Amino acid sequence: MSAGAMVDVPRGRTLASGNGIANIAERALPWLVPIALLIVWQWASSTGRLPSRFLPSPRAILKSFVELRSSGELWTHVRVSTERALSGFAVGGGLGLILGLLTGSFRWVETLLDTTLQMIRNIPALALIPLVILWFGIDESAKLFLVALGVFFPIYINTFHGIQSVDRGLLEMGRSYGLSRWALYREVILPGALPSILVGVRFSLGFMWVMLIVAETISARSGIGYMTMNAREFMQTDVMVVGILLYALLGKLADLLSKGLERYWLRWHPAHQSAR
Amino acid sequence: MSTVFASREQLKRQILAEGRQYSRGVPVSIRQVSIALGGRTVLKDFDVEIPSCEFVAVVGRSGCGKSTLLRSIIGLETLQEGAISIGRNAQSRPDVRIMFQDSRLLPWKRVLQNVALGLDSSFTPQAERVLAQVGLADRAHDWPATLSGGQRQRVALARALVHDPSLLLLDEPLGALDALTRIEMQELIEKIWWNRGFTAVLVTHDVAEAITLADRVILIEGGGVALDLFVDLPRPRARGSARFAAMEDRILQRVLQHRASAIDEAKARVNGNEEVR
Repeated sequence: MSAGAMVDVPRGRTLASGNGIANIAERALPWLVPIALLIVWQWASSTGRLPSRFLPSPRAILKSFVELRSSGELWTHVRVSTERALSGFAVGGGLGLILGLLTGSFRWVETLLDTTLQMIRNIPALALIPLVILWFGIDESAKLFLVALGVFFPIYINTFHGIQSVDRGLLEMGRSYGLSRWALYREVILPGALPSILVGVRFSLGFMWVMLIVAETISARSGIGYMTMNAREFMQTDVMVVGILLYALLGKLADLLSKGLERYWLRWHPAHQSAR
Repeated sequence: MSTVFASREQLKRQILAEGRQYSRGVPVSIRQVSIALGGRTVLKDFDVEIPSCEFVAVVGRSGCGKSTLLRSIIGLETLQEGAISIGRNAQSRPDVRIMFQDSRLLPWKRVLQNVALGLDSSFTPQAERVLAQVGLADRAHDWPATLSGGQRQRVALARALVHDPSLLLLDEPLGALDALTRIEMQELIEKIWWNRGFTAVLVTHDVAEAITLADRVILIEGGGVALDLFVDLPRPRARGSARFAAMEDRILQRVLQHRASAIDEAKARVNGNEEVR
């Protein structure tokens, strides 16, 4: 098929497949602005234009990062925070997925639950903090609850929406080809809803860190939030910045992970066709 | 394919003489069927008998109910009145497959898995065979998104054929294809129908396509059969031939006549179509 051969040309590679210099230039381009900012920052700090009480120099931050790492303190805090984030994500995301699948698939469950869930959704999760402290005290369950709550709605709504917007034509086709209810669900409905569910996952990963930061700054005896709040007591601006940067790094990691999942699960999607 | 048939009887005799399986196709009987969609009556007391192995084309203007008819045969529409029976007796449940205008392939399954939809893995060799029959054996492990429109319709055809249907319904399957691909697909469908001997019902806008493929062309108008024409042209049919053109013209004029009576008379005179038929 000559038409097929034309479609087979891998897209998206044309830019990167140029000569060596163009290749390096393209890889370096996204880092240009951050590096320039770092240089200006370091310059402003070392000439005294930027007082370290206000913002420490990049070099001081790096130094305190190395110190925190060698004492093992950093690792402990990162581990505790990641555990909280992931367990909250598992609970909230799992519930959101299950309820989204149920309301999306069964009309009566939608009628029963959706109004309630939409009302709860419109309450800003952070407005619940006083109550949460009252209910759970200031131990782990309060943080778990807040993270789970923040993660729940993006996944719930996108799962629900994904199932509702599965192509009717494909459903009709599946039925006329004699697929059983379960086969129809597994072969048509779930894969059809998956792109939308993954959008929910990416949104909720963002909320996951926000909720965790809030929870950890309110009250904690460990974790990155605790580390930064503790540093504030002693005016250790360098440690505070390390904490903030750690959040950024972890957020980026989570995003990469969800992108990887998308690339694997949606490899059939026209948007991912270059990775054939 | 080069044999010349003068009439339906001769066609049948020829089929029997060839030893072609005449039992695979099933008769379809549509009796007194009425269907309303959204309060509007689409089909009214619709009556058609389709004998085994016949290739019937249903033509008509947009919205005349030809797709609805097809969808009701496979049970996607509910009948208000009447009955549709497929097969010789009520006990048998013949395998009916439908091909839509859009291919409706599952984009998350590779071509071969799409063909073998709903079948277990023991059917994989059979799916591969059918895929080779439609000329796409080398694309078995590609994603549907990488195929052209014509190739997708071929896969959809293979998916319908892998079940070895006794009745194949074709809902404008070539409507969205370019002219060349369309002719290729018509030849493919004709060849497969000829070799397998299922009953086929094709819904189409294209009168020439109907005459090329069908034993019989039915024109639907106002919810009923306006014209039921037996196409006694030898296969394969040459579009250029005088009889082909005459038949095409006759059906087209009949379609246009309806419009002429619908719009005001002055315009009809300008068209000069009143005297036809």
